[in-house]
Amino acid sequence: MSSVLQRITSPPSQALTTLQPTPSTISFTVSTRPVPKTLPALFFYYLSILTRLLAGTIAIVGVWTKWRLESGKPTDILAICLGGVAEAWLIKLAHSLPWRYLVPSAAVVILAVVRRGYTEESLLIIRSLGLQTSTSSSTYLTTSAKRFIPTTSIQDIFIHEAFKGFEVRFYLSIVVKGEEDVVVVFPSLLPRRQILEEVWRGARAGLWEVGGSAGVGLEKK
Amino acid sequence: MPYNIAMISDNFFPQPGGVESHMYQLSSKLIDRGHKVIIITHAYTGRTGVRYLTNGLKVYHVPFFVIYRETTFPTVFSFFPIFRNIVIREQIEIVHGHASLSSLCHEAILHARTMGLRTVFTDHSLFGFADAASILTNKLLKFTLSDVDHVICVSHTCKENTVLRASLDPLMVSVIPNAVVAENFQPLSHTSSYTQHRRDAPGPPPRLGPHDTITIVVISRLFYNKGTDLLIAAIPRILASNPNVRFIIAGTGPKAIDLEQMIERNVLQDRVLLLGPVRHEEVRDVMVRGHIYLHPSLTEAFGTVIVEAASCGLYVVCTRVGGIPEVLPRHMTEFAKPEEDDIVTATNRAIAALRVGKVRTELFHNQVKQMYSWTDVAQRTERVYDGISGVLSHDEFYQGAGAGGGWSATRGRAGVQSFALIERLKRYYGCGIWAGKLFCLCVIVDYLLFVILEIFAPRSRIDIARNWPKKVFKDSKDKEVDGSKDTGIGRKRSARHRREQREDSS
Repeated sequence: MSSVLQRITSPPSQALTTLQPTPSTISFTVSTRPVPKTLPALFFYYLSILTRLLAGTIAIVGVWTKWRLESGKPTDILAICLGGVAEAWLIKLAHSLPWRYLVPSAAVVILAVVRRGYTEESLLIIRSLGLQTSTSSSTYLTTSAKRFIPTTSIQDIFIHEAFKGFEVRFYLSIVVKGEEDVVVVFPSLLPRRQILEEVWRGARAGLWEVGGSAGVGLEKK
Repeated sequence: MPYNIAMISDNFFPQPGGVESHMYQLSSKLIDRGHKVIIITHAYTGRTGVRYLTNGLKVYHVPFFVIYRETTFPTVFSFFPIFRNIVIREQIEIVHGHASLSSLCHEAILHARTMGLRTVFTDHSLFGFADAASILTNKLLKFTLSDVDHVICVSHTCKENTVLRASLDPLMVSVIPNAVVAENFQPLSHTSSYTQHRRDAPGPPPRLGPHDTITIVVISRLFYNKGTDLLIAAIPRILASNPNVRFIIAGTGPKAIDLEQMIERNVLQDRVLLLGPVRHEEVRDVMVRGHIYLHPSLTEAFGTVIVEAASCGLYVVCTRVGGIPEVLPRHMTEFAKPEEDDIVTATNRAIAALRVGKVRTELFHNQVKQMYSWTDVAQRTERVYDGISGVLSHDEFYQGAGAGGGWSATRGRAGVQSFALIERLKRYYGCGIWAGKLFCLCVIVDYLLFVILEIFAPRSRIDIARNWPKKVFKDSKDKEVDGSKDTGIGRKRSARHRREQREDSS
């Protein structure tokens, strides 16, 4: 009973992916995206993509058809693309649904389709150039929030703790020259300490060579 | 055996005060002895989040508490989730609460017992039994202390008071006095060569002539319970009978106006100097300007300030109240009853003694240094921790109780309190006819909250915090440090004693 409750209420699990295409470039990505591994999982994954595409298309086409019908314009393209049966079915649907039901339901379907079901945050480090943090957007239509910080303005990078809700959480942050507040890396996921320490080591090694240190005294681990 | 200890109190720096410095000094000495100590307090303006102090002392300034600070009951449970999180991530074993007026401390002790941790409570103040506020506080204290492993008081008077207020078994209350950092309270003429000389043979005392000015220092917050009314009544009389006496008064409070009025009424502006509020670091500089320290307090659990004054080489005139008579030896103090006439006569006696040269105030510093040290306090506190966590056997810890003599319904046979919920409920039920039931209800809700938290915020999801990298204290280094600082026999013995203890335990 309690283990079931625990599983239901637990936040999505986070995974760290490290990529190092060249010795001077390293990228850390923390993501809650579930990676399908088994065959059925893979099958359901692709099926869900297909369903999303289908649902999105139907919603858009439905609204479009309604508009054509209301304004008295021909809907010949539908017959050419989908065939007569589908056209007849769509026209019937468009006739039976009034605007006030069609528009909200289509909006809900489209929002559900374009919503990104996971969060992905990354830290890209290029030696002697700087680092870039990015946080994925909540939908597929908008771009992710990125921030580039050149090496010259990075003063330090450290792990510290802070109160968040009813917890104390670790966070990795960057001190930027001339800014009052630190820049928190992975701000929405706030990964666990083990991941943060790995990223911290990698980031220091990537920015200032192995064992190099720019900031003195602030780092604690 | 090193412990992970959490000190909890509403009072901590940046706010100045006795409890605050007690917690800080004790914590840093315990860290020196190899323990891990964290401090949990509420957020102050400009002081929030997780902070590190000297020596790797970690301070959690818990937010969201300041708003409800005045009320106690509504917040009883709201502190639990965050407290549990901190305790788990820091792997705390012993929760040590300070100050009986701090609701944070009481709540923490309750939650800690629910979580199955050892708890210690240190009482820093005396309370009455008669007025409404005291009755309420005492009830609350009784609630928390019904289920606590051990209580520490700063003086024997304080112990008596606490035992009565919370209906405790006197055996589970220890007395560990405060201490002072003697280095911060040196007399004006105190130099190293001077000490060397003094150790060999105290020279003739510097005599005060009959016409030399004697300065009397008073440093206290000007409140009713600090005896400011007595001071106001006594000053004109003391000044009238002693022409070459000056007063320096530092501190502020609601009674400051009365004091000023008294000065104006008697035209004493040239003989009484009011300094207003002084910071704790400046206290020494004020003290060394005087010869006598006057402490007219009406109630005091320990009175660290008179130890500080004696350490600065001042002759102390104080009221015989609370824990004050235990604090200093007879030759450093002149006692008075807490009434106007007696304070005047005691002060006159002190002035006369100084003029005659009977009092060797220049020797006070080293004597105080030998009597009070935080290392000693930490050592004794550590023994309490040993006792409650079962490292010391029951008979050894509760000496004088006889074999099994300290056995009671509240304490198990091993001298440690049982964590079983039903046992705890039994203890709380005895608090009073209505209060007992109310407290039981609180404890049950607390336990349920604990179970819910275990499900919805399981331990596996909480990261363990790393410890501050610690310097390894080797015996040889310890010896070296102590050797360089050694000035008195008392310290030397304590260092050796400690080494022996460590060898025994290892």
